[in-house]
Amino acid sequence: MAPEPILEVRGVGKRFGGLVALDGVSFRVEQGSIFSVIGPNGAGKTTLFSCLVGSQKPTSGSIRFKGKEIAGLRNDQVVARGVVRTHQVVRPFRDMTVVENVSVGALFGTHQRRGAEARARVAAVLERAGLASRAQALARTLTIGELKRLEIARALATEPEVLCLDEVMGGLNPSEIEGAMQLIREIRSSGITVLMIEHHVHAVLGVSDRVMVLNFGKAIAEGEPLQALRDPAVVAAYLGNDVEGAPG
Amino acid sequence: MSAWLKKTGVAPWMVVLAAALLLAPLVADRGTLNDLWSVAFAVVLASAWNLLGGFAGQISLGYSAFVGIGAYTTVLLANAGWNPWLTLPVGAVLAVLFSVVVGLPTFRLRGPYFSIATIGVSEAVRVIASGMEFTGGSSGLRMPSANFHFLSNYYGMAGLALLTVGLVAWVRVSAFGMALEAIRQDIDAAEALGIHSTRYKLLAHALSAALVGAGGGLFAMNFQYISPGSVFDFPLSLRIVLMPIVGGIGTLVGPVLGAVLFGYLQIKLLASPTLRDWNLFIYGGLLMAVMLFEPRGIVGIWERLRRLWRRRAPPTLEASGGA
Repeated sequence: MAPEPILEVRGVGKRFGGLVALDGVSFRVEQGSIFSVIGPNGAGKTTLFSCLVGSQKPTSGSIRFKGKEIAGLRNDQVVARGVVRTHQVVRPFRDMTVVENVSVGALFGTHQRRGAEARARVAAVLERAGLASRAQALARTLTIGELKRLEIARALATEPEVLCLDEVMGGLNPSEIEGAMQLIREIRSSGITVLMIEHHVHAVLGVSDRVMVLNFGKAIAEGEPLQALRDPAVVAAYLGNDVEGAPG
Repeated sequence: MSAWLKKTGVAPWMVVLAAALLLAPLVADRGTLNDLWSVAFAVVLASAWNLLGGFAGQISLGYSAFVGIGAYTTVLLANAGWNPWLTLPVGAVLAVLFSVVVGLPTFRLRGPYFSIATIGVSEAVRVIASGMEFTGGSSGLRMPSANFHFLSNYYGMAGLALLTVGLVAWVRVSAFGMALEAIRQDIDAAEALGIHSTRYKLLAHALSAALVGAGGGLFAMNFQYISPGSVFDFPLSLRIVLMPIVGGIGTLVGPVLGAVLFGYLQIKLLASPTLRDWNLFIYGGLLMAVMLFEPRGIVGIWERLRRLWRRRAPPTLEASGGA
């Protein structure tokens, strides 16, 4: 029997009225691994993350974190237990400085740090995310690359055990992507399990231990990165089935 | 002291104002003290409202309910034989309870929907107070006239104003204040970082309700007579919102500035027979002017002027530095 996974998702579904965004998605994430979720636009990847952290309630299924059910908890309760996410469209507190943004994570995360302890935590996270030199800048003045790193830094400041990264490489240039991949590897080596949604295939192959492919709310493949990407169902989802059904 | 001022953001002129407020009875006549009392009351209302409306960005238009609950509690208990001073904490606690009852459902709403809901709640309270027997209906209630002492009431209100501003200054630099600021800027992002937004909104609402409720009690003691039209009135709610907005919403000094301006304006407007009926018109005009030209109020104008001054200043500064 494999060791108990840090995250076990079973049959999670989410409907918005008649629209089925997630349809019985199941997977397990091993502690200390990097697990990527890929799929075409609208496949339900971000909805899956929302359900994991509780910003949306799944309509069915179970989500177990370290053996305990977390489906149905509020977002802040899930963060307090150690699962945090970043947003695909960055959501900085624009009128706060970088250091204040990150402080929010340290003050209200899993350990609710205060005073010198919080400051130390914030300084360490800023250093790790490469934002130390921008600490006093207002968030609204940052570049998109810096905003993506700020999004990660805030989430790290909550001291999570599972970090869910929603397309942190979108909009980055190749050298920034290399930097982000390096950062993700470092986060994993520090003992944090990483889930990531990513479109950038090179990055997915470069860092992931396992890959799950979503299409129309269903998990159509899961496994080693290359194996999952070569799955016929995945190829069909991305490139179309064949030309038989096409008009003309 | 100056380090404390810097950390909490209390402006030196506020310390001067506080000292003036406390020392005024030594020199000022009763009329001036009455005006200062009104200013202190306005500071309580504006600064307390700012905790929820300014820091957390939840624009409530229902704060007259807390004034009224405090005022009615004081008058009803005083008529039942209580010492009026002992009724103040009771009024504050009832205002807190009411703030939670109102907050639990309405804090699920966002933006203007929340504001509209608070109007409904406070109007409902006014209608109930006008209709009930024990509140004296629409004709209101009178305090037992014995042993009223203006000066102690004055110090009570001045003390409450200082307490309010002190609490707001403390909240501003605390983790609690950080949570409110995060909620104001992006409530979803705040929750995604572990902030229980409803809890912090309820806390801010409760803290400001307690202060406003106690202020309502002191108001009743001072005026000796209250009615739904004087303490549960919608224009009162509007004035409470107007003061911090005109002064500078979400800042420490803004609501105090707004309160000083409005406390004074209110006195002058009501005293002048020609302007009396124009007061709501003037408030509305001021509100529109602020929204259109400087959403950060007097504080915003001040900062603009200072930037302008700085832009011109460097040559002279350099010259004096080099000399």
